[in-house]
Amino acid sequence: MHPILEQFLDKWVWPTAPGAPGAEFRWRLTRERCLKGWEVSLARTLAEIETEQARGDEAAKKTRALRGYAAEGVHMSIKQMSAQLLSVDLSDQARYIDLQRMRARQIWDECKHSKLHADVLIGKGWVKHERELMDEVAANTQPLPAYFGLSMMFPHIHPLARAAQNYYQEAIACLGIMAHLSLADDPLVRHEHLSQRDEELMHFMEGKFQIDMYCTTPEIQRPVEEALDYLMHQIGGIR
Amino acid sequence: MPTLKVDHGRCTECRMCYIVCRELDLNAVYVAREPLHRIEIDTSACTYPGCTACLMYCPAEGSIVEAESGRSLVPPPLETWRRRGARLPL
Repeated sequence: MHPILEQFLDKWVWPTAPGAPGAEFRWRLTRERCLKGWEVSLARTLAEIETEQARGDEAAKKTRALRGYAAEGVHMSIKQMSAQLLSVDLSDQARYIDLQRMRARQIWDECKHSKLHADVLIGKGWVKHERELMDEVAANTQPLPAYFGLSMMFPHIHPLARAAQNYYQEAIACLGIMAHLSLADDPLVRHEHLSQRDEELMHFMEGKFQIDMYCTTPEIQRPVEEALDYLMHQIGGIR
Repeated sequence: MPTLKVDHGRCTECRMCYIVCRELDLNAVYVAREPLHRIEIDTSACTYPGCTACLMYCPAEGSIVEAESGRSLVPPPLETWRRRGARLPL
């Protein structure tokens, strides 16, 4: 096992509140299924970074920042969040304080992602102002309809399927950030990733907590297993 | 008994600890009015080291510490989740 994954597991995955009713299920799921996907994803990311670094130019950093600006910023993420929020009728939304909290935090969250990528582009001198990115096609287009495939296509998915999505997919984000931090020495690139580290880990923890607390019976566990099948096989191409 | 406190220099105010503590109906983690909206731990309601749940889901390294020793409990040291007799207050 790669040391980055081992470190992630020991620090954040295995620790579990004693007596948490879904913990055994989560550990089993992790050992039997998630680990394979996480290993493959980490290996892909490390290989990608090493290829970029071997080229020795700055082009990859610009491409990554532009791609991040388009994909991680206000465009896709806010659209995705809007679709998720609309799974609760407008008239009911005021009753759910967590939903309001999620919306407020997500708007802040996605705008911050954009700003971090814009910071790299400005800091490197590739654009003078963020406004210039309005004329940059690569900063405004990306191929995915939504993160993780599940979101825009299935805004009404089971809440615990969403927990599975957070648990499995955000771990991949965390591992990607750890991979970049282990290999990149450019201060701007490190800043781009370091500033997102705790937040992605928080998303992972949301999934971990919900699985630990609520996945108590095979019936309740089923949406988590189904979501994981979808994420690993159909989205991740991992068999 | 040792108690917990938040290291505000490291806490990102994500509020996972608040959600966890509320879910367990302990409500020891609260959002303070002074300083406004800052996360704090009410040590009279907190049952640490009996309950260690908030430590397990905190994503910000070093942000919850043992008040007396100043020792970081995030990520949680082994004894906080493998200690015999430690149970969630469910």
